[in-house]
Amino acid sequence: MRKTSLDTLLAEGGRSNEPLLAVDNLHVEFATRAGLVRAVNGVSYSLNPGETVAVLGESGSGKSVTAQAIMGILDMPPARIPKGEIRFHGTDLLRLSEEARTQVRGQRIAMIFQDALSALNPVFTVGWQISEMFRVHRGMSKRDGMKKAVELMDKVRIPAAKQRVNDYPHQFSGGMRQRIMIAMSIALDPEVLIADEPTTALDVTVQAQIMELLAELQRESNMGMILITHDLGVVADVADKIAVMYGGRIVENATVHEIYKSPAHPYTKGLLESIPRVDLKGQELYAIKGLPPNLLDMPTGCAFHPRCPYRQDNCVTDVPPLHEISGTRNSACHYWREVLDGDQR
Amino acid sequence: MGRYVIRRLIQAIPVLLGATLFIFAIVFALPGDPVEALAGEKRQDPAILAVIREQYHLNDPLLVQYWHYITGIIFEGDFGKTFAGVPVTELLAGKLQVTLNLALVALTLEAIIGVVLGLWAALRRGRATDTAILASTLLLISVPTLVTGFVLQLWLGVWLKQAVGTEIFPIAGATQGLKSYLLPGFVLAGTSIAYLTRLTRTSLVETLRSDYIRTATAKGMSRRRVVGRHGLRNALIPMVTYLGADLGALMGGAVITETIFNLPGIGKQLYDGVYLREQPIVVGIVTILVLVYIVANLIVDMLYAVLDPRIRYE
Repeated sequence: MRKTSLDTLLAEGGRSNEPLLAVDNLHVEFATRAGLVRAVNGVSYSLNPGETVAVLGESGSGKSVTAQAIMGILDMPPARIPKGEIRFHGTDLLRLSEEARTQVRGQRIAMIFQDALSALNPVFTVGWQISEMFRVHRGMSKRDGMKKAVELMDKVRIPAAKQRVNDYPHQFSGGMRQRIMIAMSIALDPEVLIADEPTTALDVTVQAQIMELLAELQRESNMGMILITHDLGVVADVADKIAVMYGGRIVENATVHEIYKSPAHPYTKGLLESIPRVDLKGQELYAIKGLPPNLLDMPTGCAFHPRCPYRQDNCVTDVPPLHEISGTRNSACHYWREVLDGDQR
Repeated sequence: MGRYVIRRLIQAIPVLLGATLFIFAIVFALPGDPVEALAGEKRQDPAILAVIREQYHLNDPLLVQYWHYITGIIFEGDFGKTFAGVPVTELLAGKLQVTLNLALVALTLEAIIGVVLGLWAALRRGRATDTAILASTLLLISVPTLVTGFVLQLWLGVWLKQAVGTEIFPIAGATQGLKSYLLPGFVLAGTSIAYLTRLTRTSLVETLRSDYIRTATAKGMSRRRVVGRHGLRNALIPMVTYLGADLGALMGGAVITETIFNLPGIGKQLYDGVYLREQPIVVGIVTILVLVYIVANLIVDMLYAVLDPRIRYE
């Protein structure tokens, strides 16, 4: 069989009316000593150029695993993808050769990680790490690569970039390190940027600056962004669409406005109610009762049923399908109408 | 950095003084009379023995003897004379070269074999190759040098020579250049090879689990580049530290190997010196070894700062 080049594949896919990136019925499982962990169970979402999709959920909900599957940086084994597609310009990345996959990684789809201190290599200068993208992928000389690195550091507004290009990651503050991470990820103008909790390790004022920077870079280049977070405050400002994950499934997806106006899933509702509010100062903070599900021993039926105030008998036995509420909105709750009306039992 | 080196060198002075005094005292406390040991079986005129004792200050108390010794070294570079009248410095100069050669051959073998096996095991972690390498290192650690030395001497030195007709590994002496050092070098490096293999494996496996390795993969770097550049560069730090510190241990550990393979190095000389109670030789060699340890450790600490930019010395 003749080997089709990646660009031909991507161009062919591009002709059809596919979104930029589409995750379709993705399943990821991990073989562990304790048994099979089903971390992602049929997740679907799509992303268009210039759009920001926020993936919201607590630890263990499968949001990061989904992102790592898109990047192709899961350790396989122990991870396995038994079902599903990840289509980039209509081409299923999961069926590409490792070689073709490496061509997509970093150049077409890039990723920013949570803790920039551990995500940057401690023994190389930041300039070396940024310019590596140009040297390896674009065949640039060391000197030209360094020039590009300084330009990028300027672009992400690192003061005195030229003087600091030969510094090591540990010599920068947390916010500056995350800027370096961002500079590295946007170096080759990727079409998709995945940001995995990019501000979690930073303090609040710096968080806002980083999100602003990301939004600005996105406007300039029209790239699609997947923002993985558990911080509802971050989401409201920058996201267009939200996908809420729980127990490896998407329980609700909708536009930001729809979700903030009236959530259609009890879990989303619980998340929104647990945001501290000034007008309720002095009262006990709302928390969703119970614990996140044990992925080794998932509850039957709807994974959220043990914690759900709307629970009925069929929630324990039947897995709720993703009901379509409107053209832009879905909820995986048997009783989404009641939740939407705020009719809590 | 410069000030740090000077401070470290100044710190070395009390260490050297302490070590030499300690060894001096131990040799002093050894039973038997060195002058009579020198005379051997033959009865000597007590008057001659008394003159020799007087000449070598052997009747003075320990600290006075030590004072004579140490001031001789510091002000005249005189490490004393052997009973036969040869200056210790002259005696040891050639022998030090033999031991240094042996230690360097051992260190090179250790570095090459240990790193290659360690990397191999790390990249095949959990599979048969890994298990086999780990098991053989365990074997190498468990068997003492005394045994590996004689066994390899017999197998590779004697039997192999009989089997193929020519000598591949000489079994004694240092007369055939690099060839003479290969077998003793391997024997000397034996346990160190095993430790370095394990250290390399652990270090690389640990490094490959780091977040920055995931970042390098996400940047679209090839597996080869991720492991060879991003991984190895970090894994190297403990490996180099171990190798550097091991140079001193190899020189000190040469006593047994040099005796087995009859190599005329300072290890063999130390053995003979202790046997004959020749204080100047024993203390001289120990002083050299302590110096080697101190310098090797200093170099390791310097290298550490070069390899890991997070470490800086004021």
